[in-house]
Amino acid sequence: MALRIARRRSPISAPTGVGIFAMRRLAHRTHLVRVVTLCVAATRTAPAQGQPGLAVTDDAGRPVVLAAPARRIVSLSPAITELLFALGAGERVVGRTTWCDYPPAARAVPSVGDGLNPDLEAILSRRPDLVVLYHSPLNVGAATHLASLGVAAILLRQDRLEDLRRDASILGRLTARAAAGDSLAVSISEALRPMPDLGVRVAILAWENPPTVIGGASYLDELATLAGGHNVFHDLRTPAAVVSLETLAARDPDALVVLADSGAAKPPQFEREPSWRVIRAVRTGKVLVLAGTLFGRPSPRAPVAISDFHRLLAGVR
Amino acid sequence: MKRGLGLVVVALAALALAVAVGPTRVPWPEFAHSPIVRELRLPRALLGFLVGGALGVAGAALQAIVRNPLADPFLLGLSGGAGLGAVLAIAFAAGGPWATPLAAFAGALAAMALVYRIGLAGGGELEPRMLILGGVAVGAFAGAVTTAVVSLADAVALRNALLWLWGGLSGASWDTLAVVCAYLPIPLALLFAAARPLDLLALGEEPARYLGADVASLRRRVYVAASLLTAVAVAVSGVIGFVGLIVPHGMRALLGDRHRVLLPAAFLGGGTLLVLADAAARVVVAPRELPVGIVTALVGVPVFALLVRRWTTS
Repeated sequence: MALRIARRRSPISAPTGVGIFAMRRLAHRTHLVRVVTLCVAATRTAPAQGQPGLAVTDDAGRPVVLAAPARRIVSLSPAITELLFALGAGERVVGRTTWCDYPPAARAVPSVGDGLNPDLEAILSRRPDLVVLYHSPLNVGAATHLASLGVAAILLRQDRLEDLRRDASILGRLTARAAAGDSLAVSISEALRPMPDLGVRVAILAWENPPTVIGGASYLDELATLAGGHNVFHDLRTPAAVVSLETLAARDPDALVVLADSGAAKPPQFEREPSWRVIRAVRTGKVLVLAGTLFGRPSPRAPVAISDFHRLLAGVR
Repeated sequence: MKRGLGLVVVALAALALAVAVGPTRVPWPEFAHSPIVRELRLPRALLGFLVGGALGVAGAALQAIVRNPLADPFLLGLSGGAGLGAVLAIAFAAGGPWATPLAAFAGALAAMALVYRIGLAGGGELEPRMLILGGVAVGAFAGAVTTAVVSLADAVALRNALLWLWGGLSGASWDTLAVVCAYLPIPLALLFAAARPLDLLALGEEPARYLGADVASLRRRVYVAASLLTAVAVAVSGVIGFVGLIVPHGMRALLGDRHRVLLPAAFLGGGTLLVLADAAARVVVAPRELPVGIVTALVGVPVFALLVRRWTTS
């Protein structure tokens, strides 16, 4: 699997020092105004301002309230970027991470760098009215900071398809595309109905040295199950774990699934190594390669991923 | 002598144990022709033994030439250099199963050359203080560059590069073992041949000179040979700490200071410790696996404390 060096912050128009300070002060003032408005609104009846869709609670339990449907969104996760484009809100995405590569139109959006521990200055320079972050302890600080600067920030979990279904309806409401959000949520729910069980037992390899497999807490484990397979490391409660080749050989999967990096899906190199050939699936050539961007993250393309996976598994039987 | 024989017996027992146990059960009737035993456990145990032995000897020799009990194979910047080499190989997706070990080896050698050059700063001789300072500085520099590369790289591979650095023997195979077997004899022979002058050096630099030891050339030879041992260890198994620090002290406590005994004992002791630590790493949290460097620290440090207590009270 290739490790790519991230391109550093590509074509963002860097704000001047004066500009950013002025902007923060302005942002602070608007924040105060908003707090006052909110207090007034709260004394009446919640939800606020006659737009009930624009007040939600995010996955960190923080209230997120928009004054108007989001028009300038910075998406700090590839899954969310896909989701927003699928909702038809793609033209409102004004910032993305280095890793957002789908749909192709997303690449035209300026990158603000990484999605974990994001660069606040790069985000603010895009003048967003909504920032969507992956729900991780590494991002809570950034979300709180953004909120204190008057920029609405929402932390959303995206670990399972179920999370994505919820994210679709939440983001549908926040962008005033509730109908699109709900229909996307429905199509994701349909993907959640498992394909016929093929009885194929697989081990999903995330890395080869040390041998690292996908465990039960990963999205890929869910995909494998929905595609009619069984992950032999489903009992491990973490997303991924280092195991020994001996354990891999003893669990004896029918096929070894390798997650290739996006783009170049070169065949794995271990097929000729005697130590790997102890594993039956390697000996018999049952090594399936999955392309990274389709399978590596929960996305609105999950139905495609599941049926592709199902077809690959059916070929093993 | 008796203790020496005892050490050999313990080493063989450790190897046998490491082959006998694993995360899965291999029934006794199938044991001899099980591919799990033949292709996985056996090469892994033997490789662990050689790597641990190399680290033990390198540690004992380095402690002798810098006359500092804190010296360890990784103090002198080699782990930093090797780590940088490995991370660069992973970052630039160099192909082939040998790319990462070779890059780690090259990185370790580059660090060694740099530290050696700094160690010569005072004039024509390797100065122990400059060697240690140079080692720490080069290690810190390489560590900083490694972190820079890792922080600019894709998160998944980053995690794996770091795991690789933590050390592990999961890459073991008969091929790796053959390469290590072909490589080890030369630096080991160089060090064993230096046993007598190292004893003299233990008396102090001046006395060693009066007794006929060429201290300057001794330091150079031993430094290079010990670094070559460490470089191959890190290339096949990542950075495995504590073996090179603890084993020489333990062996001194058991068998005394004479290098003719100490160096082979450090080889056996280091091999035994690493083989046992790796067996524990494979079994304790099965089906998952711990990085072996963590186990050597968890096991090695308390044993070390006990030994030092015995050593100082007797």
